Amino acid sequence: MRTTSSSPDSPSGMPAPGADPLWYKDAVIYELHARAFHDSNGDGIGDFPGLLQKLDYVQDLGVTTIWLLPFYPSPLKDDGYDISDYTGINPAYGTLENFREFLEQAHRRNLRVITELVINHTSDQHPWFQEARSSPDNPRRDWYVWSNTDDRYRGVRIIFKDSELSNWTWDPISKAYYWHRFFSHQPDLNFDNPAVVEEIWKVMQFWADMGVDGFRVDAVPYLVEREGTSCENLPETHDVVKFLRRRLNEKYPMIFLLAEANQWPADVRHYFGDGDEFQMAFHFPLMPRMFMGVKLEDRKPIMDILQQTPDIPETCQWGIFLRNHDELTLEMVSDVERDYMYDMYALDAGARLNLGIRRRLAPLMDGDRRRLELMNGMLMSLPGSPVLYYGDEIGMGDNIFLGDRNGVRTPMQWSGGWNAGFSAADPERLYLPLLSNPVYGYQTVNVEAQRRTDHSLWSWMKKLIQVRKSTRAFSRGGIEFLQPRNHRVFAYIRTLGNDRVLVVNNLSRSAQPVELDLRAFEGYIPVEMFGGNPFPRIGRLPYLMTLPPYGFYWFRMRRL
Amino acid sequence: MAEERFLSDEFVSQLTAVGEVDIVVGLPTFNNRDTVQRVVNAILVGLVKYFPRQRSVLINPDAGSKDGTTEAVQAASIPDFRAVLASSPLRTMHVVSARYPGVQGESEALRMLFAAADLLGAKACAFVSPDLESITPEWIDALVQPALKDGFDFVGPIYQRRRFDGLLVKNLLHPLIRAAYGYQIEEPVGREVALSGRLASYFLSDQSHREDFPGLGAFEWMTTAAMAGGYRVCQAFLGPRVTASKRSALDLNTAIKEVAGSLFRCLEIHQSYWLSRQKCEQVPTFGFQPVLDLDPVRIDRKRMFQMFSSGVDDLRPVLEQILSPGTLEAITAIAKLEERQFRFPDDLWAKTVCEFAASYHHSAINRDHLLQALTPVYRGRVSSFILENGRAGSEDVELKLESLRQEYERLKPYLIENWNRKVR
Repeated sequence: MRTTSSSPDSPSGMPAPGADPLWYKDAVIYELHARAFHDSNGDGIGDFPGLLQKLDYVQDLGVTTIWLLPFYPSPLKDDGYDISDYTGINPAYGTLENFREFLEQAHRRNLRVITELVINHTSDQHPWFQEARSSPDNPRRDWYVWSNTDDRYRGVRIIFKDSELSNWTWDPISKAYYWHRFFSHQPDLNFDNPAVVEEIWKVMQFWADMGVDGFRVDAVPYLVEREGTSCENLPETHDVVKFLRRRLNEKYPMIFLLAEANQWPADVRHYFGDGDEFQMAFHFPLMPRMFMGVKLEDRKPIMDILQQTPDIPETCQWGIFLRNHDELTLEMVSDVERDYMYDMYALDAGARLNLGIRRRLAPLMDGDRRRLELMNGMLMSLPGSPVLYYGDEIGMGDNIFLGDRNGVRTPMQWSGGWNAGFSAADPERLYLPLLSNPVYGYQTVNVEAQRRTDHSLWSWMKKLIQVRKSTRAFSRGGIEFLQPRNHRVFAYIRTLGNDRVLVVNNLSRSAQPVELDLRAFEGYIPVEMFGGNPFPRIGRLPYLMTLPPYGFYWFRMRRL
Repeated sequence: MAEERFLSDEFVSQLTAVGEVDIVVGLPTFNNRDTVQRVVNAILVGLVKYFPRQRSVLINPDAGSKDGTTEAVQAASIPDFRAVLASSPLRTMHVVSARYPGVQGESEALRMLFAAADLLGAKACAFVSPDLESITPEWIDALVQPALKDGFDFVGPIYQRRRFDGLLVKNLLHPLIRAAYGYQIEEPVGREVALSGRLASYFLSDQSHREDFPGLGAFEWMTTAAMAGGYRVCQAFLGPRVTASKRSALDLNTAIKEVAGSLFRCLEIHQSYWLSRQKCEQVPTFGFQPVLDLDPVRIDRKRMFQMFSSGVDDLRPVLEQILSPGTLEAITAIAKLEERQFRFPDDLWAKTVCEFAASYHHSAINRDHLLQALTPVYRGRVSSFILENGRAGSEDVELKLESLRQEYERLKPYLIENWNRKVR
């Protein structure tokens, strides 16, 4: 039963007539944390009423979907990914009523909202775990994975290797070891227990009835464990997903599931199933290779990974991104590639965390506006639904000295005034300090300043999103790579029906000439999409183009 | 005078597509289809393994192969580098093939490579032969590393030679160059060398003597020009040099004409340098030299002696115009010895070479004839060398060679004196 629903699809929450169940394919997703966005009550912590106040901003930017990082009650030892109550709101961020109101207002602005479903583990403070650990006979004992020794599942990799020595931790209360793939305060749920699966379904129903439009499922590959395996991507994990998806389809066909599975494309492919598992999954291996391509000034790493990416069901979509709330993960690269990335992007060892780099996009691009544009241009033109991390639209910086990944989770910088316009609280009360250095500090980088000028990064990003949304060739089209001899140029054609877009990216810091073989499009007129200017008609000879440093073009191919 | 345009449009177009690079590896070819793919693979693996982050290009100047060599070069690829190395290449691997105009010859190919290196701003440029059977990826590291990262301008090879292999180098080229130029470089006609970008640019700009150095001579010229130009010179152990194409003993005339003739010409071009060069210094050497003794090359010593003996006799009128009376008498005397007693002493041999060099310089006779006359005399030296060292181990042979080199050094004033003497 749905208690409240304000889906943009219809007041009843069921698909409105003509509603597109594949809406997520056209989504431009904006990832944010309620805590970091805007504080309405002056306690130094962002909240839902504050977020609501900024919905006009989000709408104005042009994104279509908000992905909310965990906002549930939590001890906050892992920034909310350690959940102690799946159906509540962390009081610091507001109430359920605040959330409902935010959701409704988002939907009124045609903004969809997806939330986190962190089901691999809970906080050790969750009542379920408190009960499970209390006694081996407790009914919830089997809701978690216990062992008398730490010998089981030998050889399984440790994900948070900078802070954990083992995937097992001894519980002195329970006098047994419990399994955790992440922090020791995040015991893994036991998905071999049907009761667990049922309970998770109830959680999903709770939020679906409230009107959320999708769930980003955290840490999917690790749901199930089996002896003698890597405990990742097991068939039983897929069975759980299929089960939940089936239930979702029956009752909430417009809600989509997004998988966080940091795996090779061939392994992630399985999470789409036959269109009966996740509708969307992040393309993790693509992301570091975009950074590599720009540094190497060579399209090879990007092309290689995309050419290795398997086809997915028609109803499915990749989620592509540049940065997010976590470290820039380098799990899905070779050792040689990782060393290269560290040397190029994280020479300061303080920027390295686990197997990644904890920096935001702008500092990674050395604040180079051209590179920022190029990277975002690729993000918006490659196959998949783009995910934009809050603050990257204005080029926010980071602070690697804040520990863990907090450096990329600092308050949104709205203005150059008090607390960057984020909060009326005393600055010392903020949940994290503001960035204040002369380059990325809030006095220099803020929304208010950038919205005043047409030439700011923010204005440019808004335009970029607008142009991207002008054709579904980007969101739903196929891709054909052109392979000009100049390896510094990364060019491709996005096609959906008769809609064709030619994308040409210069990955190099210097101007580049390129001859494109466009004979298949002889007679077409390329129209540059940002300025609307037609370019010379394509003939039989190689189409010569020159690109400025880090420049890119999007051309709509017109046949006139 | 208008500058010459010698790079084809197609080649320039390919280079433009490649763009700026750090490393150029040159692989000149002519009808090497049977061997070239393995060489290309070794180069590619070497680049990926040892220079994964550098921008590199393999350039294949071809003299007009008719056997599908360039197609083989383009087709040579490693489908999955992970089968050979731990990872795939970071960067696009570029392989460019282009026909070079003009007469087939090393110097034309090298010129093309110098131009490519200059145009692409390469920091290091290595050259590799297409018929190598013994090349490994480590050769690329050994050659390129000193030029790319250690600041050297010229990297010569050191091959692990079989006993009695490379005797022309060991008895004539190496010791004469050492004495004259003052550098102890092992292989002055090494075909696997590397240059810094700036030395390649210098060679590109100094093409005035290009036609003087056919074949192997081009490498000799590079080696000596680097030394004479004050560039930083080093050498690197590569390993055995085994090629598919074998020079036959009947090619000795050509070898001497190319190699000795080129050396004498180099001495002329660089005389302002070596005539005043006082010291003799060791050349920094990189790499690991294995101690494994290879089987000796088989040489028909007796036949060599016979050809020497008869040659000295037949060519006496010619030798009289080249050698001093004392030297000629000494050679004539040893030519009459029994084969078993025959010895061609170090001092006599070194003196002979010095006089040949000086006579070449003075054009005492037609230079081609002069070089032809050197051939039988050289055969005598080879015969004696083998007779003396037939049972000696590698270390003992090396000691004998060092003694020979010191003899050359001792005779440098004699060389200078003869070089500078007024010709009547």
